[in-house]
Amino acid sequence: MSSDYAFRRLRGANPVQVTTLVNAEDLFDRITTAPPDPRLGRLPHRRPRRGLVLVVALVVIGALASTAPAISNWIGGLIGRSEVTSEYTHAQSRLTLPPGSAWPNLYFGSNSVSSQGAGGSFAVMFAIGAWECYWVGAISEGDIAAGRRAHAALADLVANHVVVAPRGAAENWTPPRAAGTPTAVFADDGGYERKERMYAEAAAGRPQMLEQSCRANG
Amino acid sequence: MSDNSNPTPEERFRKVFVHLWAVSAYARRRGSFDPDAIAAETMAIAWRRLADVPPCDPLPWLYATARNLLLAERRRAGRVARLREPDESVPAPELQELDPQLARALRALSPRDREALLLIAWEDLSPSQAARALGINPTAFRVRLLRARRRLRASLAAEDDAPRSASRPVHVDVEGR
Repeated sequence: MSSDYAFRRLRGANPVQVTTLVNAEDLFDRITTAPPDPRLGRLPHRRPRRGLVLVVALVVIGALASTAPAISNWIGGLIGRSEVTSEYTHAQSRLTLPPGSAWPNLYFGSNSVSSQGAGGSFAVMFAIGAWECYWVGAISEGDIAAGRRAHAALADLVANHVVVAPRGAAENWTPPRAAGTPTAVFADDGGYERKERMYAEAAAGRPQMLEQSCRANG
Repeated sequence: MSDNSNPTPEERFRKVFVHLWAVSAYARRRGSFDPDAIAAETMAIAWRRLADVPPCDPLPWLYATARNLLLAERRRAGRVARLREPDESVPAPELQELDPQLARALRALSPRDREALLLIAWEDLSPSQAARALGINPTAFRVRLLRARRRLRASLAAEDDAPRSASRPVHVDVEGR
């Protein structure tokens, strides 16, 4: 006996071939007078609601992006153009530029924000660049006194207006003293040590690194 | 009235309700005392849980629900123990008699194998539909069906070799997943 034969025999022995139910429509009406599955009512709203949430989110993101300075106070530590400009101006009174140099105008977008102390940091970095180039000029002209003055100014800047961020610190890490003292923040990547070595080399009569830095930053 | 993409609950349920006769027939074949009541209760549950009923192929879901109701019916009747002893089983009033030889061969199967076989042979489900009705994956169902068909064949072959017993009414119970 084959398996197919046995199965056909079973299929042919189906004890109930046709069933008829009376009053099926009455049954349908009775069943559907009860409340339907409450989950069905929510189904049509899912997609529009999700879309609405997306639209609202985009609007909020756009609004926040366009008013970044306005929300900086909510977040804390962020400052807008007026604060950055104020810091920059204040730093000019605390720092000295070499003869012949002048503080440039600071361009800072009206809808931009930065970390606290950014204005002072700009001033410090400009001063470092200016003194480095002044020193390069002094060396090339053989002006030893000017060179010593530049070296002293740079040593002061590096010692008192530059800090190295802690290893692994966030990019916008702000030193505690930034609010009062113009300070530039160097990442912990050897840049600070390079500056110290650069000035030592220049003072020893090997100004190649200093010249390179002046060309790059001055 | 609504568009096709967003049918009302009644429109959606109508597509489920067309299987009322099939559910009733299933209950009869499994020996229900009141197959029409089982079918009606199955549909009422489908209405209350319409979000769970697959709109494209509701039949396996309906059979699974009907089977649970059949088992509950038998528990209520206190007949579970007797149903597991075929000689003492009492046929449902509307259940037609099977060929006794075939009936014995079916009884020789485990409830799981028997249900797998009957969902295909009597309810005319595809293997994937039957797998959904039993809540198992299609591969497991195919293995179970193959085993059931082999055992049915072996049982019928043994019946052919054995002396015939007296004809008696047959009850095909529903058990197992």
